[in-house]
Amino acid sequence: MSTAPRILPKGVAEADFDTALGRFREILDADSVLTESDQLAPYTKIMMAGDDADYIPSGALLPTTAEQVQEIARTCNEFKVPIWTISTGKNLGYGSAAPGETGQVILDLHRMNRIINVNPDVCTALIEPGVTYQQLYDYIQEKGYKLWLDPPAPSAIAGPVGNTLDRGVGYTPYGEHFMFQCGMEVVLANGEMVRTGMGGIENSSSWQVFKWGYGPYIDGLFTQSNYGIVTKMGLWLMPEPPAYRPFLIQYQDPEDIEEIVEVLRPLRISQIIPNAVVIVHTLWDAGTHVVRKDYYDGTDSIPREAIERIKRDEGIGEWNVYAALYGTPEQIEVNWNIVEQAFSKSGKAKIMYGEEAEKRGGGFEYRSALMKGDMNLQEFGLYNWRGGGGSMWFAPVSQAKGSETKDQTALAQQILGKYGFDYVAEYIVGWRDMHHVIDLLYNRQDPDETQRAYDCFAELIDEFAKRGYGLYRTNTEFMEQVAGTFGEPLRNVHTALKNALDPNGILSPGKSGIRQ
Amino acid sequence: MQNTTIGPLRLLSNTRLKSLALLGGLLLPMVVSVPNAVASEAREPAEVYRQICAHCHALDKAVGPEITMAFPETAHEAWGNYIRTTVRNGRGAMPSFREAKVSDEELDALIQALMYGEFADTAEEE
Repeated sequence: MSTAPRILPKGVAEADFDTALGRFREILDADSVLTESDQLAPYTKIMMAGDDADYIPSGALLPTTAEQVQEIARTCNEFKVPIWTISTGKNLGYGSAAPGETGQVILDLHRMNRIINVNPDVCTALIEPGVTYQQLYDYIQEKGYKLWLDPPAPSAIAGPVGNTLDRGVGYTPYGEHFMFQCGMEVVLANGEMVRTGMGGIENSSSWQVFKWGYGPYIDGLFTQSNYGIVTKMGLWLMPEPPAYRPFLIQYQDPEDIEEIVEVLRPLRISQIIPNAVVIVHTLWDAGTHVVRKDYYDGTDSIPREAIERIKRDEGIGEWNVYAALYGTPEQIEVNWNIVEQAFSKSGKAKIMYGEEAEKRGGGFEYRSALMKGDMNLQEFGLYNWRGGGGSMWFAPVSQAKGSETKDQTALAQQILGKYGFDYVAEYIVGWRDMHHVIDLLYNRQDPDETQRAYDCFAELIDEFAKRGYGLYRTNTEFMEQVAGTFGEPLRNVHTALKNALDPNGILSPGKSGIRQ
Repeated sequence: MQNTTIGPLRLLSNTRLKSLALLGGLLLPMVVSVPNAVASEAREPAEVYRQICAHCHALDKAVGPEITMAFPETAHEAWGNYIRTTVRNGRGAMPSFREAKVSDEELDALIQALMYGEFADTAEEE
């Protein structure tokens, strides 16, 4: 028998917690209420630079129906038990399946994995939170529907509901996931269930096709928040185009990032290039399949000389643009000519597709898969770059303007360099914005390096905020700090909504810095 | 209108799974769909490998180390424990996979299949 002190939810007496657990076992079955340490171990694995002791759940609940979730919410309200909701739990580098803080009970929705509806005519799907991209992909393949998904890099093992609710992105023309979400079913903290958009109309056939419904549009309240538990979500699927041309453009000079963005922006806004384009730095493009120590063994930032060797040996540019054209072959030819002309002007770009692009040493093969919605986890090769299992995604937003990109790149390299980390980064280009995604990779087995990673991440947040750059998303360790950068008036509104919808503060306390 | 309602894919009953495992017929393409996912239902080891493991551990992916080579029977217990611990707890870059994602029954069958090298060919093809 373990002699370790029992972990309880914050502010909940042991007797009350035991009574609540008994209720949970009545709502679910005993096997779906986990309290033993070996059962809870998978919920404690984190990659961010937090203290392991801060992320240990007191239990985990595994419902299979929305009605069970309603009963769980009512019980949590009665006993003030805080729950932290996860779906597939593969938000790696953002908190994974761990709770927001020690003592919270995990509400694990992975067994709610029904594909309720896929409509190949209007190209929509209605799914539960536990459905993975792989599961939905397999279903579409089996049915022979000509529909594409838009997975993020963890694709196969992650799921559309969790990624969309965290406002994640993918790489097809449907890359901004929340933009392509349509209709939700949500269990509120008091156990009531609400359907958003057209879902409130009984027997509505337009729940998954018309986002706005009637009156205030509220779907956004349930993203990056703790105001409800989403138990069903609609999304739009991209019809498979008659033709598809992924391509690669390489630039060799660090300063070229400014030109790339200036050339790209009008092509992207006008939808000549319709997908979520990525501009990938050398170390990211190499890091998916090359190990750092093959080029540099120091514990400080990898030097310029080694980066140049990687570029030369691996056939990778300083900046590597992966994008694609979609449509009929005729449409693609027309747009290809426009792209070629735009990027050829300065003479710095090397533009290629097909066999020529495949022969380059970067990530053309897996990027081509992601830009057409295929399942692929090659990007996790980044975790081998430095080794040790530490990863935190620092992701500030910028305008799609070359001057801002240059400014952000220089600032990030300066701060990462100060702490001895590498600039492993890419820009994901939206219509008018860019997500500057930096993977702060570090050895989590080394306490000193982990502390440095923590300090580095905290400084990145503050210094970027000082220049007007905010993050689009962050990990559970830094949610409070990032919320602070967006100002008190916004935080006050978040708190007021929390108090109105969840007065006992039982749903994911601390998510996005929001508490009672 | 071609609307459809389905349950989770490729689920086999425990009895079916065990008989397949005993027969070494783990790569059979038989598929059974059921309306709801409950803890007692399990996917074939080949399906778990394809849906989850292969994306990183297939030889041409090389994101994670090779795991498909057969192990001598004398090392089965130790190797099985190693796999189980790694799957449930994670290790370095390897994420943890909880019971809701890979059930105990599925994990046991997967370990058996891996130890006997059932997916060695699959890994090469991937």
